[in-house]
Amino acid sequence: MRADIMRTTIVTTLAIAALLASAAAMAARPAIDELKSRVVLDDYEANVLFGYNIVMETNKYAARYAGNGLNCTSCHLKGGTQPDGFPLNVAGVYPKWRSKNGVRNGIELRIRDCFLYSLNGVMPPPEAPEVQAVAAYIHYLSEGEVIGKPPAGWGVPTLPDTGADPNPPRGATVYARSCTPCHGKDGRGTAAAPPLWGPDSYNAGAGLNNVQRAAGFIWANMPVGNERSLTHQEALDVAAFLHLQLRPFDPREGGLKKLAERVYHRISTWMGKAER
Amino acid sequence: MKLGAYCAMLLREALPDLSWRRRVDARRELLAGIVGAVLVIPQAITFAYLVGLPPETGLYCAVFVGFLASLFGNSPMVGGPNTAVSILLSLTVMQYAGRGSPIYTEFVLVLSLMVGLIQLAIWLLRGAEIFRYFSPAAIIGIKTGVGVLLITSALEGALGLSPLSTQFFYEKFYLAAVSWSELVNPYSVATALVTIVSGLALKRIWPRTYIVAAVIAGGIVGTAIYLVQGPIGSQLELLGHVTMRLLPVQWPHLTPQHWLFMEAVVPSAIAIAVLGLAQSLVIARDLKARLVDDLDLEKEVFAQGIANTLSPIFSTFAGSGSFNRTSVAVGMGARTPLAGIIAAGAVVAFAFALGPLLTYLPMPAIAGVLVLVGIGMIQGDEVRQLMRGRVDGIVFLVTLFTVTFLGLDVGILVAVLASAAFLLAGMSKVDFDVSHEGETECIAVKGNLFYASVDRLGQHLRAHPSACTRLDLTRVPFCDATAHAMICAVQYERSANGGRLDLVPAARA
Ligand code: HEC
Ligand code: HEC
Repeated sequence: MRADIMRTTIVTTLAIAALLASAAAMAARPAIDELKSRVVLDDYEANVLFGYNIVMETNKYAARYAGNGLNCTSCHLKGGTQPDGFPLNVAGVYPKWRSKNGVRNGIELRIRDCFLYSLNGVMPPPEAPEVQAVAAYIHYLSEGEVIGKPPAGWGVPTLPDTGADPNPPRGATVYARSCTPCHGKDGRGTAAAPPLWGPDSYNAGAGLNNVQRAAGFIWANMPVGNERSLTHQEALDVAAFLHLQLRPFDPREGGLKKLAERVYHRISTWMGKAER
Repeated sequence: MKLGAYCAMLLREALPDLSWRRRVDARRELLAGIVGAVLVIPQAITFAYLVGLPPETGLYCAVFVGFLASLFGNSPMVGGPNTAVSILLSLTVMQYAGRGSPIYTEFVLVLSLMVGLIQLAIWLLRGAEIFRYFSPAAIIGIKTGVGVLLITSALEGALGLSPLSTQFFYEKFYLAAVSWSELVNPYSVATALVTIVSGLALKRIWPRTYIVAAVIAGGIVGTAIYLVQGPIGSQLELLGHVTMRLLPVQWPHLTPQHWLFMEAVVPSAIAIAVLGLAQSLVIARDLKARLVDDLDLEKEVFAQGIANTLSPIFSTFAGSGSFNRTSVAVGMGARTPLAGIIAAGAVVAFAFALGPLLTYLPMPAIAGVLVLVGIGMIQGDEVRQLMRGRVDGIVFLVTLFTVTFLGLDVGILVAVLASAAFLLAGMSKVDFDVSHEGETECIAVKGNLFYASVDRLGQHLRAHPSACTRLDLTRVPFCDATAHAMICAVQYERSANGGRLDLVPAARA
């Protein structure tokens, strides 16, 4: 009898302790679903949730600044929680010191960059609520990470040197074989996957418009459901193929300035010819 | 009043009165409506920004709140998004939710609903009476102060100072002056300056449509800078996509969190409701005095209340009558609600037609427009006329000072108090002429006799308890219980001491 009571007490205590521990863990970082079901959210939590919604459905929650058929989660896979798929638990890596202008480049700048290039949209100002919310979400994802140390699986893997140059025509066949079911023959995307090129995809200034980086991303994450099935060389080839496709121009330099430069260049070469 | 009559009156005020149809001058109203729509689009977007909501909500406010306010009212007053209401909505909700988060949006909508309901309550209680006590001096003080506030708040956007969130405009001036080269974006300044200067220059030629021309000029220059320097080089902020839906209908969420919020913000909701009504009624009173003599103030109160109550259903926030847009509409010849109704429809048409252009509209051009609107609200000759009268001058200055330094909410309160104080001071002035007809002293009183004004007469009468006095009250419009009691007491005292106090009655006690 005594032992029974003892046992019940111990079990109860343990159960309570476990409950408390899990409650403490929850207090540290509640899951998004839990945040969604909560009745009362404080300012930070509300922003985290808003940031999560933006990352998942950019075209709905940040329509003001988005400009194409992609959402943040198209590249920052699973809402930025996928290692080797441009994860977003990177708050510890920012702000970075950029020696060029002596200005610290905070996480806000990276967020704004992705709006301008990857989403081919309008660059939001640093204090835009959308930017602040995504920053809060990134902070939330980064809880427990070490400051100054890149998180595990940061960015995408760098593929080793295969000894052969990336070959776009071979990439085209890889594309036709492995990618068309989801991304479509013309790369414009389908209901199953976002566009890879064309007017509704990332522009020429985007981070993914870089053969090495795109190859790492494709090798580690594509085709969905059959990841890491391509060889390194195939990934590089298909990345080179993507790089050659038409996409919106790089907005970094104003279109007019570029045009003026080209016209000036053309005129000066004509003038040079005429002189000779 | 009988209950039946009261209900009949409410019903009459609550139903749209379309009798204005008969005196409509369609061409003028159409023109005023179209120009009003062009004018309201940049304002609506800016005010949405002030509230902390996406730009399209501002347009919904211009369309739906504007339409409902015009439909249920019977004046050419143009309703829709309003600076002061917008700022107060954001200041209130910001304490409870992160600006821009979904819960923030829901709170703004819930607060708008509360504002509308409170305004309807004020309508039921015949609250428009209170606003009669606004003196014209206070109204002009508020108008001028709002102009100053608009200019200073636009300064931030015009200079590209966006990361600065200082409370007071003089701090902004100071910071901008001290660290000019670091903080100020020259491309923003150029765009805003082009907007302002071209607006001021064109105002002479096109006194009504100059704002439209100015925003086009600023937009062209800003876009050219953007195209040459690129987004990184210029750091020009653009408006972004305006994703408008035709019928953004939804039901406001009401969870326990919303109830807690509603409970906490009742005082703010009342303040915003009163403030919105105050502005609308100030405009309405002005219109009634000058142009539309059959304007019914109570009906306007109902129109504002119902428009704001329904605003959250159309995914937008509360508004009120607009000083600057009404003055433009009336200036273009609008005399009926038709102008406001047309403006609401034209906003939809423009937003769909100009959508892609609006995306690349530089924000500093919008800031420039706000400066122009602010300048338009500061009317030198009105102010000069006021300053001739001493009392009016003081009320004006006090109101202007509080509005610019302490904000519109405090300013309106102070304006009511100042108007009331001077009204009371004026009312409590009592003159009395003393003459003698033989033995009898005749006192002719002129002015209101009430607790605040009765003392001097009382002292005079009590000084001679045994005298015979005839008190002529024919020019006393009002006599309250205190004064009545004083007179009775003096009569009693006199009869005890052998004196007399006869009344020449006119006023009822
Ligand atoms: C087309 C693919 C793509 C989309 C869509 C995209 N990004 Fe990125 N993003 C990238 C790439 C590639 C990088 C890495 C760039 C680099 O290292 O220079 C990156 C980097 C970032 C970083 C810095 C992370 C780090 O590892 O240092 C942040 C923050 C970020 N993106 C936020 C966003 C947000 C927010 C969105 C949605 C609005 C978004 N991105 C949409 C491709 C994308
Ligand atoms: C089973 C369907 C599927 C296949 C097959 C597939 N992808 Fe994807 N891909 C996706 C989905 C889905 C996403 C978006 C990620 C998300 O929403 O989780 C994506 C995203 C991408 C992205 C980044 C987003 C963008 O649109 O630019 C690239 C690049 C990409 N895929 C390349 C490829 C390449 C190259 C192949 C062929 C080797 C391939 N994918 C095959 C489903 C697929």
